[in-house]
Amino acid sequence: MMKPLLFKSCIGYLLLFLASMSMTCDANFSQNLRWSLDGSFRLNLNEALDNTSRIYALGLDTHKVFTYPSGDIGYGVGQVYYTKLSNHIPVPFLFTSKDDSDFIIREAHLNYTAGPHWLPNIRIGHFTLPFGLEESIDTNGRLLDYYHGKNLGSKLDWGLSLNKVINHLEYNVSYTLGGKDKAKSVDGSYAVTGRVGSLSHLDFVFGLSAFNGEIDGVTRKRIAVDWQYYYATWGILGELAIGENNNQLQGWQEEKYSLVELNKTTINNQLKLYSQFVFRDSESNESADKLLNIGFSYQVNNQFELSMSGGMQLNTPASGKKKQLARVQLRYRY
Amino acid sequence: MKILSMLLMLILLSSNANAIAYCSLRDPVSQIAKLYPQKTNQLSIVKAVDDNARAQVQTALPSNDLHFSELGQHTLYIAMLGKQSLGYVHVRSEQSDWGLVEIVWAIDKDLRISNFTFQRCRSPKNMKIAQSSDFKGIYIGKNYQELKALLSNDGVTANKYVLDKVQNAPELANVVLRCALKTLLLTEILWGEELNKL
Repeated sequence: MMKPLLFKSCIGYLLLFLASMSMTCDANFSQNLRWSLDGSFRLNLNEALDNTSRIYALGLDTHKVFTYPSGDIGYGVGQVYYTKLSNHIPVPFLFTSKDDSDFIIREAHLNYTAGPHWLPNIRIGHFTLPFGLEESIDTNGRLLDYYHGKNLGSKLDWGLSLNKVINHLEYNVSYTLGGKDKAKSVDGSYAVTGRVGSLSHLDFVFGLSAFNGEIDGVTRKRIAVDWQYYYATWGILGELAIGENNNQLQGWQEEKYSLVELNKTTINNQLKLYSQFVFRDSESNESADKLLNIGFSYQVNNQFELSMSGGMQLNTPASGKKKQLARVQLRYRY
Repeated sequence: MKILSMLLMLILLSSNANAIAYCSLRDPVSQIAKLYPQKTNQLSIVKAVDDNARAQVQTALPSNDLHFSELGQHTLYIAMLGKQSLGYVHVRSEQSDWGLVEIVWAIDKDLRISNFTFQRCRSPKNMKIAQSSDFKGIYIGKNYQELKALLSNDGVTANKYVLDKVQNAPELANVVLRCALKTLLLTEILWGEELNKL
């Protein structure tokens, strides 16, 4: 775990950054500001639970680059969404009932990038934990899923990270509080997460990740490899994570997770098709879960996107009810 | 029905937002460092590539259009050495037979191509050719007018002079040429005024 003194030093450094921004940034806040209204409607047909649910979301997605006259200081991302569930089960942790609604903060962070060559960028706020495929392929607000949250206990968390792109490598290491949507440690929760990988814009990407944390009373340890290879309009990628979970009832249990995805895009990038095979095994379960997902997203124009996905469980679980989930999403960014 | 009408209205009123969520934006940090190894920082200037800019591109380069992902808010980077500007970096996408190609252009203060590299190419064969100095030499050092003179009469493919030089990669030559022209044109249209003040 990161030493408290180092944590405090980093916070102090970021406060200096914020102070310098307020003093030296252009008076016009709208300069270098991107913002979009982002609305989506998602329909979920869950065969195993014999349930149909809907999720409505309308939010503001913002990105702002802060600059000195002589260069960038850093950037901030802020995303807040009003989200309404309708008959959605199981109830996500952010909500209290299947028809609940709330304002949800997705990403909200500042990344200081103006340090000297040797100094990492410093990010503070609520961000996606740097682990596995999700580090280079963002799935926020999409049907595409790399099971990031299920694997680590949370997809996003409050804290700080050190990150940088250097020559042929990029890295991102974070210390977060384990409170998920709460900007505090809950009953001693914490998470240390990190990934180092080759440059994520290349045709072949390889990464190594590690995680050690306690979230929701479960201690998790993970190491993972992820890789991506693209040739023309085809992509094949995968992630393999192994580790163990410890909760008070069951003690330490081995965990394995792997995903392989084959995807294809059209040459104009409007249509993307993908299929995934997911394998999840836990010592606490009688048999491993094997899932097959297929889906597509069609970008009608720069604003409007239609996506659909279907997932089915290949093995028969102890309950006898195989997971079968079909989802449709319409998303509009204005 | 109400929902459908609202949806239709939204589509008709659509502006040029970026299709992707902003948390997934990444600056081309390693490419800027490759194009300007001596740079100490970069200065971002974000501008909206809107329908007006798109129309200007269509007028200046008939038979050409911008890919939909090229609309919305985009960044021009100024490579800085301390307080001194070294040149500009502008990333643009162009559709090719093997998918979208993203090129990171280094542009000098006279708005001439000074170098370029790829953010996405996804064709090992074309990538190898594109990195050769013979291929790069076709574009490097040229301004918009000089590059436009390399277009054939159809306005979208390179002329015989270029194609003779790149006999094994004509589509690559066409894609890079179209991308270079649109990049220099948009740099001048949208960022020109601010760059002149530097």
